[in-house]
Amino acid sequence: MLLTRRGFTTAVAGTIAAPALIRSAFAQGATVKFGMVMPMTGAAAESGSFAQTGAKLALEQVNKAGGVLGKPVELIFEDDQTTNPGAVLAFSKLASQPDIVAFLGSIRSTQMHAMAPDMLKVGKPVGFGGTDPNLTKLNNPWLFRFRPNDSYSGKVIAQFGSKELGKKKWAIVHSTDAFGTAGGKALADSLADNGATLALDQGYANQSQDFTPVVLAVRQSGADILGTYFTFETDLGIFARQLRQLGVTIPWVGSPSIVNISALKLAGPALYNTYGVADYAEDSSDASKAFGKAYRDVRKVAPDNQSSWTFDAVTCLALAMNKAGSTEPAKVREAMLAIRGHKGAEGEYNFDKNGDGLHGYNIVKNDKGEIRFDKRLDFTPNLG
Amino acid sequence: MDLALQLLFTGIGIGSVYALVALGFVLIFRATNVVNFAQGEFSMLAAFMMVVFTLKLGLPYWLAFIMALVGMAAVGAVFNLAVYYPLRHRTYLPVIISTIGASIFLANGMLALHGPEPEVLEGWFETPGFLVGPVYVDSQYLLIIGVTAILVVLQYWFFEHTLLGKKLQATSQDKEMAALLGIPVAAMIMVTFVYSAVIGGIAGILVAPVLFVSIGMGAAIALKAFAATIIGGFGDVTGAIIGGLALGVIETFGAAYISVPYKDGFAFLVLIAFLIFRPRGIFGERVAEKA
Repeated sequence: MLLTRRGFTTAVAGTIAAPALIRSAFAQGATVKFGMVMPMTGAAAESGSFAQTGAKLALEQVNKAGGVLGKPVELIFEDDQTTNPGAVLAFSKLASQPDIVAFLGSIRSTQMHAMAPDMLKVGKPVGFGGTDPNLTKLNNPWLFRFRPNDSYSGKVIAQFGSKELGKKKWAIVHSTDAFGTAGGKALADSLADNGATLALDQGYANQSQDFTPVVLAVRQSGADILGTYFTFETDLGIFARQLRQLGVTIPWVGSPSIVNISALKLAGPALYNTYGVADYAEDSSDASKAFGKAYRDVRKVAPDNQSSWTFDAVTCLALAMNKAGSTEPAKVREAMLAIRGHKGAEGEYNFDKNGDGLHGYNIVKNDKGEIRFDKRLDFTPNLG
Repeated sequence: MDLALQLLFTGIGIGSVYALVALGFVLIFRATNVVNFAQGEFSMLAAFMMVVFTLKLGLPYWLAFIMALVGMAAVGAVFNLAVYYPLRHRTYLPVIISTIGASIFLANGMLALHGPEPEVLEGWFETPGFLVGPVYVDSQYLLIIGVTAILVVLQYWFFEHTLLGKKLQATSQDKEMAALLGIPVAAMIMVTFVYSAVIGGIAGILVAPVLFVSIGMGAAIALKAFAATIIGGFGDVTGAIIGGLALGVIETFGAAYISVPYKDGFAFLVLIAFLIFRPRGIFGERVAEKA
């Protein structure tokens, strides 16, 4: 067979255009795709599986209610390996798929910081759970937070410990990653407003095998209350056990990881009678109860914030797209910022101009392994 | 003083864990002249076996312990046949890469089999610890220190006073000469892998009640144990023990008196110092001596 010039030109043009045409065809496919960066391997693989369950539950409900713009929603997962380079790689894999219209980022602030520049370049909405307050101050219009940030948790921990428990001399223990550093600072900054003082500000590196020096520092500080920001549940479990073994019994108010299912299992009685600020508390609202029931039916254990934020993120992104009548990023962003009074598993969503959806925390108590809801403290956001 | 004593006990306890895993490194290095980077995963595998035998199957602790060690012996044998034996005539580099690959395979294989959930394994003793004066003595750390001491003595006796130990040493020093002397080299290497897998398993089972059972537990310990092996002198049993204990004590005191966040940094500073000023470690033999 002779190859004519026209035939050759057509073949070359077809070869060059084919990938773009295929991508375009996929982009207008039968489903609306959300990409989700989550830990499937590494230290946080267990919490990743919780996050996946939360997102899948939301997916089921959204699709049952008609999906997004009449199409079912589909989730595409990528493993972040519980590392920053892994998270960046996972996001870039998802971002290279043009038919993905929105993303779920990480619950870990340090990973969000690592991915944020790429997220800005991609220019599509990203729901995330990292609680470092700085994440929504990066001038990145595509980031939407589905957990209250640590400026709120710091205020709530300080207020509860100082005013409700009446303790004024604080020891703060926090991880030295972005989450722990920001959280510890937020708590330290809130002490003065509550008439309390800082006796110890102690950072530690993640994945420590021994916390004896930290516990002894707490004991020697003379603090009458302990506030903590732990990133990994295994670290929290080891610390809690050593704290009790070395005889430290002062009241303890921790960041949300203190009431995580894994932490409760690992630390056991060492966490009894501790308090935590929890963005998710099953008894805090009807929406939280409904999510709790749906989650228990699937996982046979109680849910925690690892799953509740992904549930809310998928639900809110779908809601915004349906309200916008489009999956075009700018329109979805506008619709996200206009969400008011949406009752999610984590609380009532009112997005401010920075992209923060929640503005308060629940106080819960570990009552012999059972997490009891105490109260919710909300702050008035500037929705300007 | 009370603080220093508490730190010393904890440092020796955590150092004993490093030392136990370092023993496995040393054994395989002595027999094959390569570093087995999957040594930490042996600890993780044994700990998960204990979880399955005690928590899932409800077997008594002692029976589960024996079964886990038998299981680890089998793992060591399979590891030798699959990871080392096919590459035994190659240089050390392919073997090291093979052990790194095996390490990743074992960690991800366990992840696929068990899932990512960390597990709690109870210790040998009902009492978690007791006070000796102002020092809290963790029962599990006490057990780890005791077992490490026993294994050191046993290992010394085994290598220096038994025919099998001497055959293993001969195999390590010169395989060709050992073969000419009628020593079954392949069998000696098999014995070494089985024994080091069992030692790694004992370390994992002992440390599990303190650090929990998780996929990443082996890698975290192995990194420090590897540093301990270099500090002590690669190939030397006493060196591995001293290196492990020194590392545990240095990082614990460094964290308490200088900086907690840089705890791991102290350990690796010591490692770097040794690599620069005494690369053969505290007890390591000179290359010329070995040749």
